[in-house]
Order: sequence, then C-alpha cells, then structure tokens
Amino acid sequence: MAQGNTHVASEKGAAVRRTILDGFVFAYLGFTVLAVLGLPEAELVQMIPKFALIFLGLAIAGGIISIGLNLKGIKTLGWQIYAPSHLRMKTTEELATPMHKTFWGVQMLIVVLITTVVGFKMTEIDVIKLLEADRFNHAMRLFGELFSPDWSVLPKAIVKVVETIYIAFIATVIAIPIAFVLSFLMARNIMGGSKVGFAVYAGLRTIFNVSRSIEPVLWAIIFSIWASFGPFAGMLALLVHSVASLAKQYSEIVEGIEDGPVEGIESTGASRLQVIWFAVVPQIVLPYISYTVYRWDTNVRMATILGLVGGGGIGAMLMEYFGQAMWPQVGCIIFVIAAVVWVMDAFSSHIRSAIK
Amino acid sequence: MSDRILSIRNLVKTYPNGTQALKGVSFDVKRGEFLVVIGLSGSGKSTMLRCVNRLHHPTSGEIIYRSKEGVETDIAKAEGDEILKIRRTMGMIFQHFNLIPRHSVLKNVLYGALGATPTLKSALGIFSDADEKRALEYLRLVGIQDKAHFRAAQLSGGQQQRVAIARALTQAPDVLLADEPVASLDPATCHVVMDYLRRVNQELGLTIVCNLHFLSLVRQYATRVVALKGGKLVYEGSPAEINESWFQQIYGEGAKEVHIN
Repeated sequence: MAQGNTHVASEKGAAVRRTILDGFVFAYLGFTVLAVLGLPEAELVQMIPKFALIFLGLAIAGGIISIGLNLKGIKTLGWQIYAPSHLRMKTTEELATPMHKTFWGVQMLIVVLITTVVGFKMTEIDVIKLLEADRFNHAMRLFGELFSPDWSVLPKAIVKVVETIYIAFIATVIAIPIAFVLSFLMARNIMGGSKVGFAVYAGLRTIFNVSRSIEPVLWAIIFSIWASFGPFAGMLALLVHSVASLAKQYSEIVEGIEDGPVEGIESTGASRLQVIWFAVVPQIVLPYISYTVYRWDTNVRMATILGLVGGGGIGAMLMEYFGQAMWPQVGCIIFVIAAVVWVMDAFSSHIRSAIK
Repeated sequence: MSDRILSIRNLVKTYPNGTQALKGVSFDVKRGEFLVVIGLSGSGKSTMLRCVNRLHHPTSGEIIYRSKEGVETDIAKAEGDEILKIRRTMGMIFQHFNLIPRHSVLKNVLYGALGATPTLKSALGIFSDADEKRALEYLRLVGIQDKAHFRAAQLSGGQQQRVAIARALTQAPDVLLADEPVASLDPATCHVVMDYLRRVNQELGLTIVCNLHFLSLVRQYATRVVALKGGKLVYEGSPAEINESWFQQIYGEGAKEVHIN
C-alpha cells in the first residue's frame, strides 16, 4: 500500500512539473517572435509589464495544451523530462520510432532551432567587421606587442604571482575545515535519519547552492568594498566560493560511501561521532585530498581574474598595465600567468593520480 | 539465573517502503548455545539479527535480554545511549566482514573497544593498555597475530573474517551475532572460520546466533536451529531432526540440498 501511495504522489508531482515546463516552452516560442521583430531595447524595456502578462497567458495556454496532449497519450517534452521511472517503460513501437517523428522530439528541435536563430541576432554576429582593414591591422599590431614581452616587469610579475598563489592557498586552507564539517551536515545519508537532521541538511543545501551560484568575481566586488582593495578581499571572495564548492563535492563523496564499515563500527556500540570518524572518514580522505588539490589549482586560476576587480595579486598588476595599454608589459604578465597555471595544473594532476 | 539469554516475542519489522520483513517472530536463545538461523534470502534472517542489536529498529514486539547479573532489558524499547550500551554487549560479524580496509589489522580489532573508550580519546588513537593487550590476545586466538600490522585490505577473505571475530571479541560481548559469516568465502576457508566460531562458543562460552545458508554446515556446527520463511518462524529444534520434508518446507518444494565439504 505504502508503495502505491508514493507512486501516486510522484505521478502527481511529475504531472505538475511537466505542465509547467510545457507551458513555459510554449510561451517562450510565442515570445521569441518579439526578438525577431527587432524592437529597440529602450522600447522593449518599457513594454515589459505588458509582455509579462502576455507571457503568463501563453504559458497557461501552453499548460492546457500540454494537459490535453498528455491525456490523449501523446508524450510531450515535459513528460520526457519529468515522468517517474515506473512509467517510462517503452512499447516496442515507441522504441522503433525515430526521435524526429515523436511529438517531444519535434518540440525540442523547434526550441533549439528558434533559440539558435534568435541567439544569432542577439549576439550581433558580424564576421565582416573582424576583417575590416583598420580593425584587423590594429589587432595584429596588438598581438605583435603582446608577443614581444617586456621582460623588465618580470621581477614584479613574479612577486605578484607568488602573492596570487598564496591568496589561493590560504583561501583553500581555511575552506578545508569549514567544508569538512559542513560536508557531513550536507550529506543525506548522515542527516536523513531525523526530521531536525533533514531540516539542517535541506537548509544548508539551499544556502550553499545559492552562494555557489554567485561567481567569485561578484564576491570580490562586494569584498573589495567591505575589506577595501587588495589580497584580503580576493582571499575572502575565493574563500566563500571554495567553501561552497568543496562542501558540495565533499558531501557527495560522503553520500557515496559504503555502508558495510559503518555497520561494522556501529555494531561495536560506538557513538555517532566515532562512527563518522572511524567508518566514514577513512573512506573519504583520499577523494577529499584529490578534490582539495584541484580546488587550489582552480583557485590560483580564479585569483588571477579576481585581481581585475580589486582582489590583489597579479590580476591587479595586469589591470594596471592593461589600463595604460602597455601591451608588451601585459604580454609578460600573461606569460607568467600561463606558466604558473600550467605548472599548477600539471602538479595537481600528478598529485591526484598519485593518490588514486 | 534463567538459562535464556534472549527472549524474542512477536517481533515485527515493517520497512518504510512497506516491506514486511518480520511478521511476528518468537523464539528463545539459551545462554551458551550455538543457535543457527536458516532460511532463504529475504526470509528475514538478517533483519532479525539487526533488530537484536538495534542496527534496525523493530516495528513492534519484545526482545528481552538477560544479562549475566540477571538484569532484564527490553531491547526493542531501548532509546539513545541505551542502544549503544546494548550493542556493546553484542559483537557482530558480517558477510562482507565490514572492516576498515585501509587501517591496520590491529587497529580494526581495537575498534571493538570503541564503545568503552571516550570519543575524543579514541579519535586521537588512544586506547587503554588493557584493550591493546586483549586485542593482541584475540588476534592470537584466531591465529593471525603475525598480520597485526598489515592493512586489513591486504588479507584474504577468511583472514578478514577472523579479524572481524577478534574485533567482536574485543568488545567483551555476551552474545555474538553472525550474519552469513561464510557466505562470501570458499568452502575450505569456510570451515576454518566456522571452527573458530565453535572454539569461541566452547572455550569462551560465548552465546552465538548465526545466520547460515548451508544445511551441511548447520548439522556440523549448530546446537539448535530455528528456521524463518517469509518473515515467520517455521521450525525450531535440533539440527539432526531436519529431514527431507522439513527441508522442503523451509526452502520450498523441489529444493535440493547442496553439500559443502
């Protein structure tokens, strides 16, 4: 009986999501016409409230069409994405039908096609512009200067790149213990047992999913105001992002552990913390190290960018010369960054393969 | 003192997905016996064993445990730290040994003392000298003291199961629960492990409740047998009394006995 109930619940949820998705896809198709009409941006912005209403209306119409189609047994894109697994058994006939002859296949093709067309228009693609004599020659001159670096700034670049490596290192080091503790609180198999546990799990997941979706560059802008320009702001920006990313990756490792050792240690009468320390931790240490080294490597790369928005390190130096259009110096800095990123990348992949 | 160490009454276990693993099982375990539980996979043997040390939580029913001092506890109603205390009195070994593969054999055996060691101390790797002495002693008992500093993963299946027995003994348990202890071992190793279990039973006087597949092993090692089928008790008696018709009833029509020797 219980099983039957969960099936009904998952079918209902799937039907709701399916209808919403199909509705939005329909409204989106109707709406792209506007983009094709090519109204100027200022006019578009003014008309947004009206369009929002039209969009909602179209979405509702699309939802109704979707319900109708699904009632008739025609499988829409929404069905294809959200249908619960127990309804997914395909008939021989369905298996033999090529995708472009199914309803959902056509629906998907139209969406991709229209998006591509609109995308071309929006990105203002103009290959001829690239080849105009003036622009082309100017760009070539710039490349020429970049490729004849001015090595007199090399000592300063080295000092700054070392600063960048340390910024990245410290952000990673501080993130490790925080993410380590969080990873257990964000793992379903550890927290799913009780209602309070599940609430903590769900809350933390939401908070960190949001903070992870904010790019480190944006964090750096915030922190460069809060903590003023410099390495500290860059480190804080990386720290926030590192904690969120590591906690997520770590918690996925925790969720993938084997139950056997956990049962083994539990059976001795060990406390909850002892079970985590002796049965869970030994299983996760190596993958944790591997992810952490990779995170440091990523942080070095990100730290070079963060300098551009006030995060200190070699990025700040790059910004300085870039602003004055001193291309040979910029060329030297880019060379240093490329060399360090390449070395870090090689180094981290060696470590990761050594501990497999 | 009663000779019954465990009295299980009307034990029911229904999993959250609706599966009824145990549908009201009642039987006794006598102090010092080697009780074997037989039945097909899915008959509820594993669930029953895990209810006894509360790795799983029974839906209803009683599991009365009588300590050496004669104190009675209903395991089925225990909560929180009480559950941990109960687990300490019951060692358990598993089909897949459930050791920590990257840790040394000696450390694995010491983990039997976790329940008696404060969390912080144990996390720093500090166990009492007495625990360490006992751990080594039990490693000697199962014949692998020379492997103490190997990683558990470097040992063969049979050796790993012996480490698991030593870990369970380090708990100084009152009962040893064994869930299919030889199901993932080859026939020769299988007898080595079963022989050690018998030694533990006879020399240390430890009560053993053991789930097994093979009837030939049951006849050789059990002092008493209970059989489960579809979550219900279908047989209780001496291993010698299991004849062809009982066998068919436990394992289903047309089942044939396989000998393992």
